[in-house]
Amino acid sequence: MDPVWAVDAVAEPPGKGELTVGPTALRIIVGARLRSLREAAVVTALDAGHTIRGSHSKISRMEAGKTRFKLRDVGDLLTFYGIGDDEERAEILAMAELANRPPWWSAYGDVIPDWFDAYLGFEQAAGLIRGYDAQFVPGLLQTAGYAEAVIRLSHENMADPEIVRRVDLRMRRQQVLFRPDPVKLWVIMDEAVLRRPVGSPEIMRAQLRHLIGVAALPHVTVQLLPFCAGGHLAAGGPVSIVRFRENLIPDVVYLEHLMTADYYDRPASVARYWDVMNRLSVLAEPPDATLTLLDEIR
Amino acid sequence: MTGHLVSSGDQPIPGIDSSVPHSARVWNYWLGGRDNYPVDRAAGDNYRAAYPRIVDVARAYRYFLARAVRYLAGDAGIRQFLDVGTGLPTVDNTHELAQRIAPQARIVYVDNDPLVLAHARALLTSTPEGVTAYLDGDMHDPASIIDAAGETLDSTKPIALILNGVLGHVADYEEARSIVHGLVGHLPPASYLALADSIHSSAAHEEAGRSYAKTGAVPYTLRTREQIAGFFDGLDLIEPGLVPIGRWRPDPSPFNAPDVDACAAIGYKP
Repeated sequence: MDPVWAVDAVAEPPGKGELTVGPTALRIIVGARLRSLREAAVVTALDAGHTIRGSHSKISRMEAGKTRFKLRDVGDLLTFYGIGDDEERAEILAMAELANRPPWWSAYGDVIPDWFDAYLGFEQAAGLIRGYDAQFVPGLLQTAGYAEAVIRLSHENMADPEIVRRVDLRMRRQQVLFRPDPVKLWVIMDEAVLRRPVGSPEIMRAQLRHLIGVAALPHVTVQLLPFCAGGHLAAGGPVSIVRFRENLIPDVVYLEHLMTADYYDRPASVARYWDVMNRLSVLAEPPDATLTLLDEIR
Repeated sequence: MTGHLVSSGDQPIPGIDSSVPHSARVWNYWLGGRDNYPVDRAAGDNYRAAYPRIVDVARAYRYFLARAVRYLAGDAGIRQFLDVGTGLPTVDNTHELAQRIAPQARIVYVDNDPLVLAHARALLTSTPEGVTAYLDGDMHDPASIIDAAGETLDSTKPIALILNGVLGHVADYEEARSIVHGLVGHLPPASYLALADSIHSSAAHEEAGRSYAKTGAVPYTLRTREQIAGFFDGLDLIEPGLVPIGRWRPDPSPFNAPDVDACAAIGYKP
């Protein structure tokens, strides 16, 4: 099989000193670590708040990753929790410091809607992303040509330079699949994605070749949900469930709409979508059969 | 674009039953995973309330798997594995353990649960040098497992068969024994059997199992040490023989692993 992706993926590794994970995700990671340390030390949020000259709600905000960190506060809390001069302390402080720095995609701020920024952070910090798509090949698996065609669909009058920046951003995001410790991507795609051509037949053919190449990577799984599988549960648009490498952080569900997005991290909501993805994965063609089908369609 | 997508068969669509606990998901819960339903967590909590050491037991099985596969791929030089009763993916799955030592190792995972199989196909993926395959198979039919595994494993070269905490799903001891012998009987000489299973040693453990069975889940039958020894008939036991699971070639540690109610061994087929 041609490694088409090597040609199509124009993603460059992030430059030196640039942040790959993103402040949102890092703040959540640091917050979760602080919380587990506080609980292990059997300290109330109120007492912890006093230590850093604040209230219990300041602690709650920090632990939920909803605020920038003052390094002095983080240091004082760690001391209070009995985390002395060791690796763990240094690691958490380093992460807190990184969380205050802009990520690589801040350079694309002009083409990133507010509601999408957090997802970028999650995606770049993910260990596993499970996705369902009914209409388009998911962004992480798109070719530049296909991405451009999709972007033009919703931005008819956009000037070329801005389109190019959007395509660039999407291609750079794909680096998570090609870095040394890549994200695991498990995608279920409705047959309609392949049946309705986007752009032109050439663009669609190149996209299919790319898909076949990427799906052959050990950390990428694609399952086609054929029309004949009948009705299914994923009512509405695309679904992504992000699971982080850090076991302390809950999974996040991301639902993208035309003008906004929903994020869910409450266990009951995540569980509902996790169940839907399970049922779809059982319903869809297995990965190896999917590769055969893609090859036939191509 | 041409071509038509056809479903792979006319079988009824395999389902996920989230109304009854499933062993793979309950184990996932005990091991700290997130891939379980409320009914699994409830069953897991009840089991643990009656028999608190179950979490140590569940961990002990995973640690044994790690040591066993390291031994088999390392010292014994085995390159083919048949893992029956895959379970949901966790850290250090059989193929990762084996391929860390021998990237070209070939692993066949066998399970009959659609959710386990979907996860295995998506997440238990091989190194480029090796192979992982996934078999929708039932232990009760060892001949068809061996047949299907033959598509991936070379039946003229040694194979390590792994039965890690699965035989209790077969309630009848004689049937469990004939399953093991059926599987081992088809393996070529110089193959291995790595097996761990739970033994009944306390009323609490029995009671936990009884209430678990009442949920409608497939019950798990505890055996005696002698019965587990019977699974190894005709095989030469590798040192230290059949021992409490934590004492099978433990990794060096300043602490002793807690002794849990399970034992393990690796047998060699001459």
